[in-house]
Amino acid sequence: MGDYIQMIIGFILVNNILLMQYLGNCPFLGTSKRMETAVGMAMAVVFVLVMAGAITWATETYLLKPLGLEYLRTMSFIVVIAALVQFVEMFLKKSVPELYTGLGIYLPLITTNCAVLGVCLINIKEEYNFMQTIVSSFGYSSGFGFALILFAGVRERVLLGRVPKALQDTSIGLITAGMLSLAFFGFKGMI
Amino acid sequence: MTEALVFMLGLGLICGSILSIASKIFYVYEDPRKTEVEGLLAGANCGGCGFAGCAAAAEAVVTGEAPPSVCIVGGAESAANVARVMGVDAGTAEPKFSSSKCDGGNRAEDSYFYMGVDSCQAVSAFFGGKRKCDVGCLGYGDCVRACLFNAIKIGPEGFPVIDEKKCVGCGACERACPKQVLSVTTIRDRLLHFNREDDCLAPCQQTCPAQIDIPLYIAQIKNGDYEGAVRTIRDRNPLLLSCGRVCPHPCENICRRGIEDEPVSINQLKRFVADREMNSGSRIPIPCAPPTGKKVAVIGGGPAGLTCAYFLKRLGHNVSIYEAMPKPGGMIRYGIPEYRLPKKVLDWEIEGILNLGIRVHTNVKMGVDFDIPSLVAADYDAIFLGIGAWKDYLLKIEGENLSGCHTGIDFLSRIASGESIPIGRKVVVVGGGNTAIDCVRTLVRLGAEEVYIVYRRTRKEMPANVVEIEAADHEGVKFIFLAAPVRVLGDDQGKVTQLEYLKMELGEPDASGRRRPVPVKGSETLLPVDMVISAIGQEPEMTFKGEGKRAQSLKTTRRNTIEVNPETLQSSIPYIFAAGDVATGPSLVVEAIGGGRLAARSIHLYLSGKTVTPPEKSLFKRHIPGTLFDSVPGIQKVPRVPMPEIPVGERIYSFVEVDQVVSEEDAKKESSRCLNCGRICYNKDVAA
Amino acid sequence: MAKTLTQEFAKGLWAEIPPFRLVLGLCPTLAVTKTVENAIGMGIAVIFVLTGSNMLVAALRKIIPNKVRIACFIIVIATFVIVVEQLMQAYTYSLFLKLGIFIPLIVVNCIPLGRAEAFAYKNGIAASTADGLGLGIGYALSLTVLSAIREVFGNGTFLGATVFGPSFQPFKFMVEAPGAFVCLGLMLCIMNAMGKK
Repeated sequence: MGDYIQMIIGFILVNNILLMQYLGNCPFLGTSKRMETAVGMAMAVVFVLVMAGAITWATETYLLKPLGLEYLRTMSFIVVIAALVQFVEMFLKKSVPELYTGLGIYLPLITTNCAVLGVCLINIKEEYNFMQTIVSSFGYSSGFGFALILFAGVRERVLLGRVPKALQDTSIGLITAGMLSLAFFGFKGMI
Repeated sequence: MTEALVFMLGLGLICGSILSIASKIFYVYEDPRKTEVEGLLAGANCGGCGFAGCAAAAEAVVTGEAPPSVCIVGGAESAANVARVMGVDAGTAEPKFSSSKCDGGNRAEDSYFYMGVDSCQAVSAFFGGKRKCDVGCLGYGDCVRACLFNAIKIGPEGFPVIDEKKCVGCGACERACPKQVLSVTTIRDRLLHFNREDDCLAPCQQTCPAQIDIPLYIAQIKNGDYEGAVRTIRDRNPLLLSCGRVCPHPCENICRRGIEDEPVSINQLKRFVADREMNSGSRIPIPCAPPTGKKVAVIGGGPAGLTCAYFLKRLGHNVSIYEAMPKPGGMIRYGIPEYRLPKKVLDWEIEGILNLGIRVHTNVKMGVDFDIPSLVAADYDAIFLGIGAWKDYLLKIEGENLSGCHTGIDFLSRIASGESIPIGRKVVVVGGGNTAIDCVRTLVRLGAEEVYIVYRRTRKEMPANVVEIEAADHEGVKFIFLAAPVRVLGDDQGKVTQLEYLKMELGEPDASGRRRPVPVKGSETLLPVDMVISAIGQEPEMTFKGEGKRAQSLKTTRRNTIEVNPETLQSSIPYIFAAGDVATGPSLVVEAIGGGRLAARSIHLYLSGKTVTPPEKSLFKRHIPGTLFDSVPGIQKVPRVPMPEIPVGERIYSFVEVDQVVSEEDAKKESSRCLNCGRICYNKDVAA
Repeated sequence: MAKTLTQEFAKGLWAEIPPFRLVLGLCPTLAVTKTVENAIGMGIAVIFVLTGSNMLVAALRKIIPNKVRIACFIIVIATFVIVVEQLMQAYTYSLFLKLGIFIPLIVVNCIPLGRAEAFAYKNGIAASTADGLGLGIGYALSLTVLSAIREVFGNGTFLGATVFGPSFQPFKFMVEAPGAFVCLGLMLCIMNAMGKK
């Protein structure tokens, strides 16, 4: 149990997927302009990534490995994830409309989010077992959400600042992300 | 190789079949255009548009929040395709603009001296800013810095000025402003805004039943922006030509200038810009929101119906008007005589509204040619009832049906339809309201030699507009006050010869606050006349209620009006809404216009699938506490510009319009009398 | 659209050069620009995938049904990514290890997908190939420039060869994650300042 907690803290703070592993930056910059969007996106990523981690792990262990088709990993993962996201979207829309109004619009965005595919691939590469896969998916996605929400808070403030014209929008966004990443640097060596 | 192929095919097959089954099980209806638009976007889910992915962007396009050109990856072609689906030109989706509600602030006195950081957010932290006016702009320009598009600058008077060409409606300024001076609105939001308790409003705007932004349009006239003034009025009232002529302008009664001086001639200024547009020969374009595909039937083409149809059309809905008379206009066409509102002017005004794309079916009467179930069957999503109050009350006295007896609205509408009615030499009109006055002034013009008004109270209690009563007086109408008709006498051919009335005296005040007239015993008097018109009030004609179960379940009030929720105008049948005289009983044109817009808001909510709730923090007829003053210091008296009118000698022989429009010079002069309440913090040392 | 193939090719090198003008595909830009070697490797992989997928999508554009086109694009791109992955594994194993999961992640990079939708699905094979090649080379160039800055300042080397004398203290910040963000942000700023089209 202690190991899992350590793993989660490690994934959120030390190996933060956004700021340390450079994954999922397109939605990071795209959806961080507003706090509301950032929170929705963060929740949706946690939601989907845990499920995607589980299902890709199953695909790898029970289909690809026994058949010796590991080289089809990328393609089969993306197909499985896309189908999963579509399915979850339809399910939520019908059965839990409250949740759908909060997360729904972010779900399709996740299909082509490199953080999701990236974490699934990392899970396989590290040869995690099922429980570790779930924990790592949860940890990484929480880290993503944590960084995204922090960043959105900063960015809403930056909007008010006197930013030189050439630096505006994505440019200042990246530099701000750099500062945030520098702050996360402080956690290095914690574990 | 074969293994891989089989594997991928199998995987695809499994995923595909699971999804297709799921899509059947979990089917939920949504706007079909959303899927279509989504299909036309790039699908890269890159987030470059600022929305959370392509599905979110598609939804924003369909709800009108984003333009068709939203996708940065898809480029121009995707924009054109999306625009085609939405049925609008690329780039003309409902534009969002930032607008500033404060036009001043520098004129208010300071309450303390501030030397801190140059930022509105910082200043507002200390007692909400250094100025005494605590709702206005602080002027440190946080919004200017927040705008990524350089669309805002601080103008010479110290408040933000927005360049509409550059503004994209991103809302950054709205979030930056600590005083909520800036707000980003769409056409829909702007049209559906109702006066709120926490708005900064002048007394006139609080009082106007149509809630026109009066100080704004007066300021626009002052600056020579006549088109802007017309647009400002049109955002609240589509019948500005008619109202500019016939409105009894309750706004002027409460004008702050009127406390110390004569009030600003608000209605004359409205008429001035409205006439200017008409005489220019070209219409100022009216922007509409993208179409929603919903259908609404408006029953009755009077002021309430026309207003409701106009706002629904501007909100993007498809509207058809059903009118019982040969032409739309209702009471303002058939109840208001030519000399007050020329038919040519009315035709031009109504044409402008219908040009938005509203269909009118004339000569069709509810309950005869169609009824509620047939409208539902014709796929209308909501119904608006604005059938007015056309049924005259009867005097309920002996001899009322002798030849030569008429009722007010019936008489006026027959004259207005061009019918010729034999006019007596000596005519008496019973009643003290606007209908009675319209009748007597019409009779004078039709050649009656002696025209009397019989009213049971005194001149002070007459509900008609004061100017109208005065005009009738000038035109030679004789008033008989404190008189109640008891009998109409006729000759052996059944023709009217005399009206017998009882003299009255005023007793204790009744429920309406007016003193109740009490008959004087034995005071019967005979008035020799050959024509009697009773104009003592009207009620809605509810004959359609006899038709079918649906109509019968529509609840009505004791006064025979339709029962509606006063704050939403929704009737007891959820898809039926009502406003104007049919809901309020006989009232002002401008009241019907205000009701028409409120009903349009409720219908819009209903059609959007939201709950029909009253506007938030709405003022309705109330005033914001503390905004009605007893005195206004520092005012130098400037007489108001007189209204030009045709001399009595000329006008009583024809139906030419009596009141004329003021000149441009006078309009400018009059507009500069406005104190700009609610726009500029008032400071007595620099007052006008 | 009377643009010549040269124009289609050239626009990717300046007017629409990713990720500066077309702000897409940021993750690999940040991740693989630690050293010039990685950047060039990644650049070549992207050129291959982008050109190949553009070509194939353009060739199949009449057959692919509109409704499922996004899924088809992903499959096409994934195919090329797998090919690149296998080739790199076979011939440049050490580079393959360094780039790690960023090679398979080209699948979800917005650039190939965006170009497939915005260009290849509507244009002929030749134009699409030129477009893919141009943007691919543009992307590779951007990566190289960025990685050159980061490697030279952060490590004192260029393609592994030492640039400065032994007294040079490497500016470690540049090769770490924060440096990647700041460096890219400043590059974007310079590009913005240099020319608003």
